[in-house]
Amino acid sequence: MISLQSTAATDTDLDDQETDVRLYECSVLYPFPLNQKEEKDIIDGVEEIFKEAGAREVAKDKWGRRGLAYPIKGHNEGAFIIYHLEIDPSKVKEINEALRISHGVLRHLMIKPPKGYQITKFSASYEKWLNERETVEEKRESEKEEELQRRVTEKARRQAKRVEKEQKDKPPVTKETTVEKDKLSEELEKLISDDELDL
Amino acid sequence: MAKNPQQRRSDPRRKKCPFCEGGAKYIDYKDYPTIKPYTDYFGSVRQRYYTGICLKHQKMLRTAIQRARFMGMLAYRK
Repeated sequence: MISLQSTAATDTDLDDQETDVRLYECSVLYPFPLNQKEEKDIIDGVEEIFKEAGAREVAKDKWGRRGLAYPIKGHNEGAFIIYHLEIDPSKVKEINEALRISHGVLRHLMIKPPKGYQITKFSASYEKWLNERETVEEKRESEKEEELQRRVTEKARRQAKRVEKEQKDKPPVTKETTVEKDKLSEELEKLISDDELDL
Repeated sequence: MAKNPQQRRSDPRRKKCPFCEGGAKYIDYKDYPTIKPYTDYFGSVRQRYYTGICLKHQKMLRTAIQRARFMGMLAYRK
């Protein structure tokens, strides 16, 4: 028994310096087009739940309006809040249940972040990405156009080359033909004259 | 005659895991811009064969995508 207790104690020590408190990450989704008062009520309600469970707020990241990938309870847009909390692991179940029942919260997700997790705020990076994405698409389009232009010019050059080649090839051929024609005509004339004589 | 390099398909063995190169220890479900390219048009997870991700990171990616789907950031099905 004694040995078991000691191992349990060391485990908790490894997890956190303060005994039986652990870092959790909780994200809450609520519908976006709301009055300020309604929004405040929802947020206050959520924070009240955390307070009742004795959670200490480490970080809070408020994402603004976000489009949802699929409609949730008839809402096509929502807003997120990400909380990083230090909670007693035994209280997590209560919080989950309370959030599940609470009004106005569409979805919530409680997660244990992995070891060595650094709290990063994604709200700013998302907006940056949104802005950048447009520029990236523009860039891609311009690249496409450049490629098209290059191809067209190449084709034109090739055609020009072909025309030049044909022109180069043609003159000797025509000369030969004219020479041959002359020769032929001469021979023919000779033949004709001979034939006529013979006939 | 050698084929045009643009027309040639890339060698799947030569692909490298983009997360290993960045030294990622954890893939966050909130990081929409990095997750999004690993889902296809229909919303399913892209296969490892096409993306070149290592198994370790593919598993992390899977959980991240599942969580993101639950929170309505990614679609289950187009």
